[in-house]
Formats: sequence, C-alpha cells, structure tokens
Amino acid sequence: MIVCVAVVGRQNNPLYLQSFTEADDALKLHHIVHCSLDVIEERVNNPKKSGPTLNETFLGLLYPTENYKVYGYLTNSKVKFILVTTDLDVRDVDVRSFFRRFHSAYVDAVSNPFHVPGKKITSKAFASRVTTLVKSFGSTAPA
Amino acid sequence: MAEVSPESPVLSTLDGQYARLFEHGNMKEFQLLSDADYAKSPIVEEQMSQDSYEIISALRKSYESFNRLNAPRSAAYCSHRIATEYFTAGDLGNAKQLFDGVAGLYRQEGWITLLWETLGYLRECARRLVSVEYFIQYSLEMAALPVFPSGGVEASDSKRAFGPAGPPTLSQRETIQQEVFSLLKGHASEPSSGLIIQDNQPRSLNIDLVNPLRMAFLTSVAFHNQTMKPGSSALLTVFILSQLPHPVEIDQLEVKFNQPSCNFKVVSGDEFFAKEIKAENHDIRLKSVPSIILTTNKWWRVTIEISSGQSGKLECVSVNVMLGHQFTFCCRPESPASMEDLTLWKFEDLMENFPSKDPIISFSGQKYIQVEEPEPEVELTLNASSPALVGENFIVPVSVVSKGHPLHSAELKINLVDARGGGMLMSPRDTEPFSFDKHHVELLSVSGVFDDDSQSNSNDIRKIQQSFGVVSVPFLGVGRSWSCRLEIKWNRPKSVMLYVSLGYMPHPESNSSRINVHRSLQIEGKIPFTISHRFMMPFRREPLLLPKLKAAQTSDQEMALPDADQKMSLPLIGRTILIVSARNCSEIPLYLTSLAIEPDGHQDVASSCTVQQSSSASLDPALIVPGEEFKQVFAVTLQANSPNMDIGTVHLKWVRDFNLGLHSNTVIMKQNLQSVSVETPPLVVSLDCPPHAVLGLPFFLFIRVQNNTSLLQEIKYTLGDSQSFVFTGPHSDSVFILPKSEHIISYKLLALVSGLQNLPLVTVISVRYSAAMNPSPAATTVFVYPSEPHFDVGRKRELVRAL
Repeated sequence: MIVCVAVVGRQNNPLYLQSFTEADDALKLHHIVHCSLDVIEERVNNPKKSGPTLNETFLGLLYPTENYKVYGYLTNSKVKFILVTTDLDVRDVDVRSFFRRFHSAYVDAVSNPFHVPGKKITSKAFASRVTTLVKSFGSTAPA
Repeated sequence: MAEVSPESPVLSTLDGQYARLFEHGNMKEFQLLSDADYAKSPIVEEQMSQDSYEIISALRKSYESFNRLNAPRSAAYCSHRIATEYFTAGDLGNAKQLFDGVAGLYRQEGWITLLWETLGYLRECARRLVSVEYFIQYSLEMAALPVFPSGGVEASDSKRAFGPAGPPTLSQRETIQQEVFSLLKGHASEPSSGLIIQDNQPRSLNIDLVNPLRMAFLTSVAFHNQTMKPGSSALLTVFILSQLPHPVEIDQLEVKFNQPSCNFKVVSGDEFFAKEIKAENHDIRLKSVPSIILTTNKWWRVTIEISSGQSGKLECVSVNVMLGHQFTFCCRPESPASMEDLTLWKFEDLMENFPSKDPIISFSGQKYIQVEEPEPEVELTLNASSPALVGENFIVPVSVVSKGHPLHSAELKINLVDARGGGMLMSPRDTEPFSFDKHHVELLSVSGVFDDDSQSNSNDIRKIQQSFGVVSVPFLGVGRSWSCRLEIKWNRPKSVMLYVSLGYMPHPESNSSRINVHRSLQIEGKIPFTISHRFMMPFRREPLLLPKLKAAQTSDQEMALPDADQKMSLPLIGRTILIVSARNCSEIPLYLTSLAIEPDGHQDVASSCTVQQSSSASLDPALIVPGEEFKQVFAVTLQANSPNMDIGTVHLKWVRDFNLGLHSNTVIMKQNLQSVSVETPPLVVSLDCPPHAVLGLPFFLFIRVQNNTSLLQEIKYTLGDSQSFVFTGPHSDSVFILPKSEHIISYKLLALVSGLQNLPLVTVISVRYSAAMNPSPAATTVFVYPSEPHFDVGRKRELVRAL
C-alpha cells in the first residue's frame, strides 16, 4: 500500500506531502522522500548511467529501504512526484498509471487561478483526489 | 523502523548463503536470510548492543560513502542519526555541531517538518548546556516556523517520533513562544534548568539579513523622500513584521543612524514611563506611542520626523527591539524596495503582505536619504575676458565675496582639465623628465590679495602642481572679499576647463558641515601669431639655379617656398631679400614689439650668412589687429656655397597690453627658419633700366649676362616689339660669353606714350642649359613722365641705399 505521496518543487522544496500511515512513521517518511531527491538528481544529471532516456518522465524505482519502495516521476517543469509504498511486488505499469493520474490531478490543482506557482498546494480538492487515487491503487495492486 | 531479531546470522552449509538459527526449546531451525536482511543485520546488531559509539562509527562510514557518491541529503540523514546518537549518549557539543549543519540544509530547501525536529534537538542541547542565547535563538525560530494546525491525531509517543519538541503543531509553537518570552522577561524557563537572564547581565542578539530569526522580527525602514535640505525635516516610517503565533509586546524600539544625532527611541506605555525613560536618555529623541504590539503576519508602523544638519548620506543602520531591560534584538533594517522574502514563509500559500499601503514606499522606499549641502552664501567669480595665447602667462582673476556666511577653514582648489576629454594636459610622447614644455597647459602660481591688502597667514596650505592647485583662503567676515590671480601658461594651443572649488565652514565648530561652491570656465588657448617668410631676388636680377629647373616655373620674380621636403635654393650673388610676415591669428589686438632674426648658436662662422634688418624698421611697438599681417624686410648676405645653410631663428616679441609694461608681460615666440641650399648660379641675367623715363627722351636698356662658369656659354636673346617704345638694336641674336666674364647687351629706347608702360619683352635663353629668363611684369615696366620731373630725394635716397 502507498504510505506517502509527495510533490517537490524545482528548488527541491516540498510543495505537497501526505502520509497515509501512523504518526510515528510520518517523520521517517519525510526523511525518505528528502533522501530520494539525491537519486533523482543523479538520474537527471546522468541519464545514460541511470538508464531511462531524457524524455522519460517516469523515473522508476529510485531505491529500496528496509520496508519501503520509493518511486519517482519528473514532470517537464522539473517538478518531482515521489511515491513511497510498502508493497514489495508492485508492477511498474501500476505505478506508471498512478503517476499519470496523479500528474493530471496536479495539473488541475496548479491551474487554479488562485494558486501561485512555486507555493505549497493547499487545495482540499487536490488532497481528496490524491486520497482517492491512493485508495484505488491499494485496491487494484496485488497484495 | 528496522525489525530487531535476537538471532544473529550464522554460516550456512552453502557458500554465500546465510541463515538465522532459531531455537524453539530443543528444536533448532535454520531460516534462510534474504539479502536485505543480511545487509541490515550489522546495524541491527549494533542497535541491540546499545553501544552508541559503535553505531556512530557505522553511520560515519555510511556518511562518508554518501559524500563520495555526491548524495548530500542522504549524507545529511546519516549526520542527523549520528547527532541523535551523540545526543542520546550525552555528548551535546558534538550533537549540536552536527544538528546545526543538518538544520542549514533543511532551511535552505524548506523542509519544515525535518527542520522542526532538528531545531527541537538543538533547543534541548542549548537548554542542557545552559546557553541562553542559543536557547532563545532556536526557540524563536521554532515558534516562527510556518507550521499550521494539522488534522492528524497526536500520538502518545510523538515526542519519540518527532524529537524533544514533539510534533510540529501550532500549539507547540505557542508553547515554545510563551516559554521563551517568559525567559526574555527575566523568568527562568524551568527552576532547575539554570536558564535565566540576570538583571545585571543584559544580552543582545544580532539579526542580519540572512539570520533565520528574520521570521520573528523583520524590520524595514523607509524615508518618504529621496533628498532633504540640511536643517529641514523628512518623514521616516519604521515597519516591523513578526510571524510568531502570539502577539508580541515590545517595550522600546531604538532606531540608529550613521549620524548619531538623528537616533531616536520609540517607547510604549504611559506618559510617566516615557518621562522616566527620557530622564535616562536626555540626549536622545523619544517618541511615545500607546503600545508596540506585533500581531502575527501584520506590519506594525510608526512614522517620525527626522532632521539632519550634516550633509551627506543619512542611513538607518539598526533597529533595536528591546524586551524588558535584559534582552535586545539588534535588527539590521531593510529597504522595502530591496527586501527579500522570508526564506521558509515564501513557499506558503499566503496573501502577500506589503509594508505600506503607499505603493511608492512599498516598491521604492529606501532606508537612506541624501542630505543636500546647504546653500552657500558666498559668491565665487572667475573672469577671463579673452582667450589665452600660447606662450603668455595668462591671468585669471578669482574673487570670493561673503554674502552671508563667514569663511572659516576655507580652501580654494584649482583643477585644469582638457576640455575635449582625456584629462591629460601633456603629450604622451614627452618622456623627458626635465622638459619644460611637458605640459601643454600648466598652472604656474596663485597669488592672493585681500581687499585691504593685509598679509595672509604663513601657515596656510599652498600646493601648486601643473594641473592642480590648492590654497588656503584666509578668514573672511560677512561682507568682506578676497581675490587672487591664477597664473596659467599655455605651451600649446589647447582648450581647457578651469574648475575652481571653494570649500569652507560657516561655523568654526568641527562638526559643522562643509559647504562647497563650484565654478568652471572654459578657456581657449590660441596661437597669437603665425610666422611665414619668403625670399626675393634683387629687382631685375635673375640667377639661373639648376635645382630650380626641376621645379615648376614661376611667373613672378619672387621665389615661392618649396614643398616641405624640398629645400629652397638661393644664389650666391650677394644680397637676397628675406620678408618675414607675422599674422595675428587671435581675436584680440596685440602689440608686436620686435621682430628679429637671431643666428643659431651652432652656426659655423666661416659658412654663416649675415642677416641685416632694414634700418627703416620702427622701434615702437606696432599694434596688430586680428587678421592683420606685419611684414619685416631683411637683407640676407650669403657668403659661401653650402648645401645646408641655416639662416637663423625668427624672434618675435609681443605683448598683450602695452600699458602693463613691457618686461613682465613680453612673450617671445621663436620659429626656426628652414635651412637653404646656397650655390653659385652658372648664369646671372640683370636688366639695367632707369627707374623712370621721360616722353621723347631716349634711354638705354642694358641686359647684363654674367657667366660664372669655366665654360663657354652661348645665349640667345630676343627683344619684342612694343607699341609704346621704339628701339635700336637687333630683335634677336645670339652671343658667346667667355668663362668668368660678363657680356652686356644694350638697346636704346624711346618712349612714345607717357604713363606706366611695359618695356619691350626681353627673353634670354641659355643654350647649354635650355633655360630661358622671362622677367616679371614688374621688372619690365617703367613709368614715362611727360616731362622731366623734379624730386626731393633726400630721405628716399637713404632708403634705396640701405636696400
């Protein structure tokens, strides 16, 4: 199941971070998301070494920890989406699908004329939509 | 968190495959380990051993590995865990140092939750180390973080998860703010903590432009104008913004400037309290306001009038926020025009908050103002009624008149600058160190005169250089005047700007501002005279010069000056006439006192020539108006052949104003005459004709041809018909002239008409040299009187003899 989703801006500042776990894990998830930025930077700066082509937005599995898997997604505007899941047998196609739908939700949120680019996303509609996506991911992905 | 397993890995029967041995009573069971489990087993074992330093050692290896891999965030996480271990082990110094580094990264990238946790540890380290300043600093930063109420439930073990400060919530911020402000007011945070600010030990904290505590106290200062007159007042507004969750009550604000006389304090409270403070600060301005309370994210403003008597830049350098008597926050104010956003708050989706409703102040307000110089009440005058001339010591009178200000410690600065830019008043090619002509224009001296001719102080400053000078001006009372004369010399024609600055103090006190008066004047430097010269042959006498055959023929008997690279040739036939002309090129009339030709010092006596000035030259100075040409006639007697004969140097003496006296103002212009080539002409033809004729009376016309060579010369001559004369003799003939001898061809003429008549045209041709002599029209004219004239030839004869 997905335990955390995050949106990180161009300056590596968190624009949105939502955890779906107990409070005592929340801080650890912050650390995991923060550390995954190193992997993303390496993938972006060394595309040949990391495998995916420059035009690929889905970064794949960034790195595994003891209990989690961290996936990354980079938009054309250099905004990063990060997904942390406890599922050890997650299919890439499911993660890609999730990111595509997440990206769509993000675009809708920043298209709000009252949203200031670069600032945190505080939209409740976006939060609700993300929760729905997470729940649906958890229900369709194999256990 | 990693799973803790009590059983360590054991070797398996197969290489590379590890397993864990479980004991269930008497049963023993192997469980194969996955790679992940095997990798985490050393750390798990270290954690089990509860030896912090072993954990720290392992984490340091990870830290160094991540650093080598250029993964700063992962390295920071390892550093964070090392710091936590140090904290747990009680090594607070090391823990604080590591937490400080990690906190910097989280601040830079805006990870509030992680920063909150780290600051919590730092705050706890400061508390245990009994460091009041650090405790206050970390507490205020935590209280000012953009942490908002979240919907999550606070877990019971949240402190374990989020560190000593607990979860990042608004209530926690408020709690921390209350605790730290209690400490700032002089109360101990906890009875056993030891953190207390003593009354006799006031402390302060500096908040500069990069300090994280800008979130707690952000100060801005804006003048409403950009400039102000000295002594007048200008409005200044002080803005303060705080992101602390609770309102903050400030006791005093002290605003400091680079001019301490402008400092002021803003105090809150009743009048009695204000009077009490005023008694302590009798030399500082006080402004009393009902209260200074900062509410969250709302600008607090106060406007005050500022006046300054000192000219220059007046800038606000510090805004000190005083909480009680024990603690002061020294904030560096920012200008609204250049104020940076708060580092962590700029990412929050909040409405933008401007310091002032006036957009001019919000977008272009500055924390400094320019105090203009007071209006001078002294008149400084430069006079130069005419352009300067090269060679003369040009005088520029400068006068200083006090119109309302007495002059104390006054100085006059003089600057000469090339008017066409460049700044240099000397030629870059003049490299000789002792060349007197090094500067094109140079300041020679400054002489000062009092209006009542009193002597100046001998201790005054006086420094004169070629293009700069500074002199002291003696004390002048109101209404008095002082003048001086600048003596400037132009060595070359150049237009210069003369800048004169008078600086003085209207009051003798050292702290009074200095007033400056500036004047400038453009002065043209011009050449007074242009000197030219030309040679003339004696009348009706023409030598044949072989070099001239190569040049173009001239119609006149006068010899034109050759090109610059072609030397003039002169015949060695006795006297040659030299006419020197001096034209006044300036715009003012000048007195020419003398025009002479002086021999050059290096001339050889044996090969020299003598130059004799016409005795008719007047000894009185001649007034030459602009454009007028003055001519002086010289007789040059050449004494020997020479390929390079120096005639001499023209010395022209002139003076601008004859009435000022000759000796002190006479300027000498020198121009070297181009050397000439002197040679003996092979043939010399002379026309000998009486100066006038009488109608009906015959006269003789002689054509003398002198052969100076050692060769036989054949010449052919012709005499053309003329309607005004009849003559006897052949129209054309040829003759041979013996070497070193002279042949005379004579004709007898009779004038038929009176008046100025042309003689019959004479042509003499040298066969050997294929050269013809064509006399000038002036040489072939004669005046025919109708009857015998009678002249008074006394004085004129002397003139003729002199020539």
